[in-house]
Amino acid sequence: MTLIYAGLSLGAVYALVAIGYNLIFIASHSFNFAQAQLMMIGAFVTYMAYVKLGLSSALVIMLAMAVVAIAASIEERIAIRPVADHQTQLITTLGFGTALTGVAQLIWGTEPLPVPFAGGDRVLTIFGGRIFPVEVVLIAFAVVLVVAIHFYTRRFMSGLAVVAMSQDDEAATLRGVGVRKLAFAAFAITGALSGLMGVLIGPKTYAVATLGAALALKGFVALAIGGFGSMYGGLIGGLVVGLVEQHVARYLGSHFTNLSVFVVLLLVLMIRPTGLFGRPQERMV
Amino acid sequence: MRSAWLALRRLPTWSFPLAIGALLLAVPLFEPGYDLTRQIELTLILALVVSGLNISLGYTGQLAIGQAAMYAAGAYTAGLLSASGNTNIALHIVAAGLAALVVGIITGIPGLRLGSWSLAMTSFFLVLLVPDVVDIFEDSTGGHLGLTSMQLPTFFGYVLEPNDLYFAIVWVTIAWFAIFRNVAVSRHGIAFQVLKQSPVLASSLGMSVYRTKLVGYAIGAIPAGFAGALLADLDLFLSPESFGFNLATGALAASVLGGSVSVFGAIFGAGIIQFSNDQATNFAEYALIFFGAFLLIGGVLLRGGVAGFMRTVVARLDRLAGLASASGATTTQAEGQPAAVARIQGGRLVVDNVHKSFGGNHALRGASLVAEPGQVTALIGPNGSGKTTLLNLVCGFYRKDSGSVTLDGVPLLGASDRIARRGVARTFQTPLIPPGVTVRDVVISGRYTVDRVGFLSAILRGPRFRRVRRNDLDRAEQVLRTVGLWHLADTEAVALPLGQRRMLEVARALVREPKVLLLDEAASGLDEAEVRTLAAIVRQVRDAGATIILVEHNFDLVLDVADRIFVLARGSLLAEGTPAEIEANTTVRDEYFGVVGSEARK
Repeated sequence: MTLIYAGLSLGAVYALVAIGYNLIFIASHSFNFAQAQLMMIGAFVTYMAYVKLGLSSALVIMLAMAVVAIAASIEERIAIRPVADHQTQLITTLGFGTALTGVAQLIWGTEPLPVPFAGGDRVLTIFGGRIFPVEVVLIAFAVVLVVAIHFYTRRFMSGLAVVAMSQDDEAATLRGVGVRKLAFAAFAITGALSGLMGVLIGPKTYAVATLGAALALKGFVALAIGGFGSMYGGLIGGLVVGLVEQHVARYLGSHFTNLSVFVVLLLVLMIRPTGLFGRPQERMV
Repeated sequence: MRSAWLALRRLPTWSFPLAIGALLLAVPLFEPGYDLTRQIELTLILALVVSGLNISLGYTGQLAIGQAAMYAAGAYTAGLLSASGNTNIALHIVAAGLAALVVGIITGIPGLRLGSWSLAMTSFFLVLLVPDVVDIFEDSTGGHLGLTSMQLPTFFGYVLEPNDLYFAIVWVTIAWFAIFRNVAVSRHGIAFQVLKQSPVLASSLGMSVYRTKLVGYAIGAIPAGFAGALLADLDLFLSPESFGFNLATGALAASVLGGSVSVFGAIFGAGIIQFSNDQATNFAEYALIFFGAFLLIGGVLLRGGVAGFMRTVVARLDRLAGLASASGATTTQAEGQPAAVARIQGGRLVVDNVHKSFGGNHALRGASLVAEPGQVTALIGPNGSGKTTLLNLVCGFYRKDSGSVTLDGVPLLGASDRIARRGVARTFQTPLIPPGVTVRDVVISGRYTVDRVGFLSAILRGPRFRRVRRNDLDRAEQVLRTVGLWHLADTEAVALPLGQRRMLEVARALVREPKVLLLDEAASGLDEAEVRTLAAIVRQVRDAGATIILVEHNFDLVLDVADRIFVLARGSLLAEGTPAEIEANTTVRDEYFGVVGSEARK
């Protein structure tokens, strides 16, 4: 049970990355390579706010959300907006993520920093398995976030507008949707969410500059398993990756975790390239 | 100034890289000292890695950042060979190149199926795996502590001094860049650029999209392997830290900064990254920030990198010096006096009772058509009647739900590139022309699958390569004269106005001597003179024996050139006949001109 909890909570972290990818993908059809780095910045800000500044939890959350939202807004302005095609956006967002990693290394060094959690670190025992409070919150948060986003996009005008934009931004423009404004808003909001994610993943993963690269890749595997643009798919994909990783680490050794996830990724791409919940598209001339 | 520039431009283009190569070989004469020598060595090694990236990213358009892993595969292959007593550097280089190639192919196969993000991620993932794999084989690789048991490299028994090793690195670099340059300017290089612009276009020219991508990606792995072998023999020490994300992003930054679609930009980009990375000792802390900034700058501001910038400068200086012939000045020549088209063996195309639905939309319900060789068969009908869908079915871009399409009695099956190779050529409603390619090269790209030339032949420029090349040039000239674009052969093709781009597409389709030529609204957007030229070309190609299918809105043109007309309405055949019969058919007139008649009111 403990192993399953560990897998699920790690998987929730990956699912959060996948959700971040998906939000940006749905809103602007771009792939944000820097998503995981934004969350990493959130974790560092959380560390600073708790340990160095001694702020209360509410303030910590607000600070992390604000800082990362600003970082994401800057990203939209310099790495997304001036670049028309999505291929080049891969390069520029990767560049932005790399720069964020560099900045984090410069400010906070390369050693992992422990991030405290508001819920304490007293181990809980549930159904015979041991789990940290932050892990419970991580899993719950990922599930709630996915459900909330799903309802939001179905029920509200702005949610529908975002979906319309992802289908065909020209048509959305003609219907009076401000595509650029909305894309910018999507980045800022995803940034704020990433800040919140940073607060929650920090206690689990520690704040470390190299976090970005590993999370970016595992989050992508989650996305590939679930299918691009599918929120539920990303959640399930993340949990699968987490479970695979923990079981392999337990039974084969930690050297094999990345390899096993890589194998999973290759299998998914070979067998079901659109993911479990993705829709295939007919080619157009 | 002007005459100096003109003299400079008269030199053959390969003389500049030659000068750089000679300079590099002469460096030891100046006794540059250990530090500078090492910087140059590392720059050249990085340049090899970057040139591989240029092939996969710049030429094939695949964002693959796994070069660092292939570099590692090459380095450890050489390192393990050396540790086991095989110290011959030539063996190291060959084995490392092969090892990198294998890694490239194995990881390219799944990633390439999905294209951009998937490949970027699977290749990036490889970099993450390097330390794990090295650790798993800790017994032989030394794990994260590093491989230390390597011996001095030899060359067939002769032990290499540090100075010799410098020459080895320079020679390998020169040899590889010569190879790279020959591939880039060959039809394979053009094919890569066609593919990058549009997979649809590439497959309509008969290229297998997947195979071409994989070949580009795999070839890009080879120099990374070479670089790994050279690094191993230079340092005699390997640790997984040398092959991490820093290297991966650094190489990508060098590629983007130098210009991904260029051969020699790689050396420049690698130089910037290498020198800025090591010169100041405390720079390393800022390295990632700079790499990130380089990627942003390269992506946003410097489209085409430094190489692209240089090209613009050269073009401007050319104009100032009056070197380039002002385009447009000679447009009057050749118009309307097309050269003869060689005899073409046409094929009988039969479309029988095909159905195709998109969801609930029945685009085609039982459409049929017969096109005979040596005839122009026109396909007309109002918007949404299924003309283009039918064309796409014939070309293999859509799969039909039922019915049959045959060419000379043999079913046209399979992917679009296979159908194209059977002699079906087409043009597009919106001309698809890759950027950065001259008019002549666009036409030559149409012959990619006509006479196959292997990569080896293109690299060595053997007799077969030269024969095919000469033939390509001759055919391109002939076809360009036919469509009246010969005077623009050296112009960049995307810069042409719409009418000329359409003509260029026709030329690209014609140069393959296709059995069946499909023209998809080739006349739309053309002025009257251009329509007349088009009509003349169509007649010529028909007289040469080809089967022509003309999908057209321009009714006058259709009546003028068609031998037989098929009228589609709502996905099925409304009428067929000679132009005179169709013109007299009232149902067709109602349907086609939107006159409110009994048929339209339903």
